[in-house]
Amino acid sequence: MEKFLLLIREDLKKMSEMSEEEFNRDLQLMMTWMESLSESGDLGTGEPLLTTGRYVNKDRVLSDGPFLEAKEAISGYMIITAENLDQAASMTQTCPLIIEGKIAIEVRQIWK
Amino acid sequence: MDKVQQEVDHLYKKYFGKMVASLLYFSQEIDLETAEDLVQDSYSSALTSWKSDGIPANPEGWIYKVCKNKALNKIKKEKRVRGITVNEDFLFQDPHSSDSVVDDYQLRLLFACAHPDLSPKVQVVITLKYVINLKIESIAKVLAMTIDGVDKLLSRARQKIREEKVPLQEPDVLTLHSRIHIVHKILYLLFNEGYKSSWGKELLREELCEEALLMAKTLIDGNIGNKETAALYALMLFNAARFKARIGSNGELLDLEEQDRSLWNKDLIRYACTFLHQSKGGPVSSYHYEATIAYLHCTAKDFNSTDWVSVSKLYLQLLQMNPNPFVELNYSIALYYSGQKKKAFKILNELQQKPFFNQYYLLNATLGKFNLLEGNNSVAREFFLKTLQQTEFEIEKEYIRKQINKIKN
Repeated sequence: MEKFLLLIREDLKKMSEMSEEEFNRDLQLMMTWMESLSESGDLGTGEPLLTTGRYVNKDRVLSDGPFLEAKEAISGYMIITAENLDQAASMTQTCPLIIEGKIAIEVRQIWK
Repeated sequence: MDKVQQEVDHLYKKYFGKMVASLLYFSQEIDLETAEDLVQDSYSSALTSWKSDGIPANPEGWIYKVCKNKALNKIKKEKRVRGITVNEDFLFQDPHSSDSVVDDYQLRLLFACAHPDLSPKVQVVITLKYVINLKIESIAKVLAMTIDGVDKLLSRARQKIREEKVPLQEPDVLTLHSRIHIVHKILYLLFNEGYKSSWGKELLREELCEEALLMAKTLIDGNIGNKETAALYALMLFNAARFKARIGSNGELLDLEEQDRSLWNKDLIRYACTFLHQSKGGPVSSYHYEATIAYLHCTAKDFNSTDWVSVSKLYLQLLQMNPNPFVELNYSIALYYSGQKKKAFKILNELQQKPFFNQYYLLNATLGKFNLLEGNNSVAREFFLKTLQQTEFEIEKEYIRKQINKIKN
């Protein structure tokens, strides 16, 4: 089995304006999905990220970073296992928030 | 339901996947979607024709024949467009019937469904569709999905099968060997779907467990299975032994502590023990650990005399094999009952800090129950109230309400 990092991407601006109910509902949907991944023994871990951050490079520290402007900024991560990249992608397609078109997920295999 | 409809439904349940597979064997020209349409069509023809003419002597042969003709016509029509004629001289039968490694056609299809490029969920859906021959409505029902959702998964799977030429055919011996692990996972998930108590008593779900048990047994009997298969089979049998005791006389959910252990099927438990024994001596899988945990529950005289120390150690092993918050929750429960309450609460509190996991009803139900046992009634009530918002299932809500009522009294 291979390990994969799922980078959950969404519009952070929209996300920070979400009502609490909508936010909790989305968390709940992700939770149910994680439960099904765990059942098949494929879930490692996962957490959402706050919308605030810092962007650091050689020259300076940008206080907010370019995150808020990006339409598909990283809003959370998960680690899963799968047979191969195709299967990992196929698993990601079953995420309810993907089906609703609310988020996009970047699937990256972890080096070992 | 009238007799003709019943017969057609029965044949559908028995032969749908087999007929689809036969069409795929029969010609490279036919893709999965077309094959399904043709078979579906043939069943409709049977229904109409038998209603007026009566059921023929060899009904499945009748449908096979209609199916074959429809397939031939389809190919001929397409070839004619391209100016080629087709050789009609073929046998409509299973080419692998005599020298096959896997004898049972159902198992052959199962191995085909265990394609490593498909997600476990999709594998389960196509297994339900082509191996167990459930209709889409039934699949949606047992997986708690919408019909539309199942349709989407199926069409994506078909697309994948078409694009990548994933053959829905029997894999060779080597592939067979490498896919057994995926097949185990499918059977495990199938059984779990049937076993989930959230739906209460439902015949369809019990049948799903039986199908999973049957297929696991066929793997073992056909010498395709290995030690892992034996462990998985033992695990399913231990759970099946407790199937009926989980729901009370009023249809209410009973937890492990409340269940009447005299209702547990002793014969099944003994039978399961022989397979747990057989599973020893090879690499240890998660099914080995889970089966051993189930064994400890099944053979304990009552809830309190359960060997919770061993159960917690087994969960720790599972956790080391596959670290994930759901197993951590079970580990903390075993720790609590084994007397390590402080450690249990430490893990539960850490889980509660996880934003996703804090939305999990079983975590909050567990925190509610343990706080109740510790006498922290108001804290317990808060957790239970939170849990009520986190499950859609009436039977689970009912269980939580029962716990809340315990606080009142």
